[in-house]
Amino acid sequence: MTISSAAFSILIMCALALVVAAPLILLTLLVRDWRSKNLW
Amino acid sequence: MNAVNSAILDASTGWLVLAGFSVLWIFLGWYWGRNSDELDDYVLAGRRVGMALGTATAMATWVTSNTTMAAPQIALQMGVWGMLGYSLGAVGLLMFAPLAARIRRLMPGGYTSGDFVRLRYGKTAWRVFLLISLCYSLGWLVSMGMAGGVLINALTGIPYHYGMTVILVICVGYTLLGGFRAVIGTDFIQALLILSGLLLIAFLAIDKVGIDAIHAAALEERPELMNLLMPAAIMFLFNNLLFGVGEIFHSNVWWSRAFSFREGVGKKAYLLAGVLWAPIPIVAGFVALAVPALDLNVPAADMVGPMVAAKVLGTTGAVLVLIMVFSALSSSLDSLLAATSILVVEDIYRRHLKPDASSAQLRRATGWIIVGLGVLTWLLCAPRITTLAELLYFTGAFVASTIWPIAAGLFLRNASTMGAIAGMVLGSAAGLYSYFAIGFYVAALVGAAVSLVCVVLGMLLQPANFEWVNLSESRPEKEGQAA
Repeated sequence: MTISSAAFSILIMCALALVVAAPLILLTLLVRDWRSKNLW
Repeated sequence: MNAVNSAILDASTGWLVLAGFSVLWIFLGWYWGRNSDELDDYVLAGRRVGMALGTATAMATWVTSNTTMAAPQIALQMGVWGMLGYSLGAVGLLMFAPLAARIRRLMPGGYTSGDFVRLRYGKTAWRVFLLISLCYSLGWLVSMGMAGGVLINALTGIPYHYGMTVILVICVGYTLLGGFRAVIGTDFIQALLILSGLLLIAFLAIDKVGIDAIHAAALEERPELMNLLMPAAIMFLFNNLLFGVGEIFHSNVWWSRAFSFREGVGKKAYLLAGVLWAPIPIVAGFVALAVPALDLNVPAADMVGPMVAAKVLGTTGAVLVLIMVFSALSSSLDSLLAATSILVVEDIYRRHLKPDASSAQLRRATGWIIVGLGVLTWLLCAPRITTLAELLYFTGAFVASTIWPIAAGLFLRNASTMGAIAGMVLGSAAGLYSYFAIGFYVAALVGAAVSLVCVVLGMLLQPANFEWVNLSESRPEKEGQAA
């Protein structure tokens, strides 16, 4: 049994979407911590 | 190893990139660590790390040679399940989240995972644990040192030994100068570089070849890669899950972060890091699956990642890839150097050799140990005796045997010393046997299963009644004064 092209595409696109979101989330958190003086 | 003919960056460009980033990391290490004179500041960043840096350091540290080198290699060997199996490494981060909160609460003055095992199970279990943990740390350090050499060689043609030496010297340099602040500060920048580089390669692979074409070519030339019922790959999936959990549960790399995070941050930071890390091996593995579509001839399995990147990106893009993988390796090497050095200093130097050591003495010893670990790693990397994945999974037999002693010890009063020791010793032995008798993809699975049986039997046959307050200890200054 092999993975279908559609399922493979969905898997890769979902993973890519999360990888795109990751730096945005990290930078948002950085600004929030910086403002509240909770960086370290 | 000789420089590969397929290197698409010339060596001088490679040296320029390495020099530029080396200067940057060293400067940041010095800048962030210039006021870290106290032990807690140097080894745990003052125990006040916030959510952003906490999440990024957990994530970047877990993106290691695994992601840049071994994940593509595994994907090319085991296909879709290989990618997903690697992605399950995130479960370790997710499951460690509640443990991180509990560690911080129960051991507000703790330094290492060894501290916990010593206080929870006594000295025999502690020494067994130290042996496992130090073997694992060394295995991980060596796998990353080797990854540095292999990767730089594949991308630039710079000989393996030169590349490996550069990455070790730089990581030792900035970790030594800046301590844990340098580690987590650079981890944040490195996390952004890794994510950007990975996205670039993946999008260019899609742009040049397309997801459907990659799927179709793999199905035609290597149909086993798209097989959802590949037995070895399915075992690998569960094995990798347990391997990841074992690595994170026992390793001082993750415990030192739990100690360093501000109150209330640990659980959230590890959860978010797990969610954000999970897709990274899938994307990295996907890149490797482009090999059949790109008609690439991969000379060694652990070169597949950089070779695909070089093929789809060309010269200019390859510079970005070099930066990305340099960051991935640095972010793990620095963390491991910092965490292993405090493990050696606290659990061997202070607890075995110099129990009345002052904070200042421990601070100085940490620096020397960082340098010593760098030298030892270089010596073990030099012969390049095995492939990255083989080396990495060899340690799976050891680390998976620590999962249940650690988890039960943190949450269950009746987890016993006998069960913990038997779990670690017999679990490691069984895992090692299965590694050689069956394959690398079952070592962690067998080790964890045997360890679980031992821990449960220990609770039934010789239950303990541990008082959690016994996990709280005074810090070195007070002990030094008392002596």
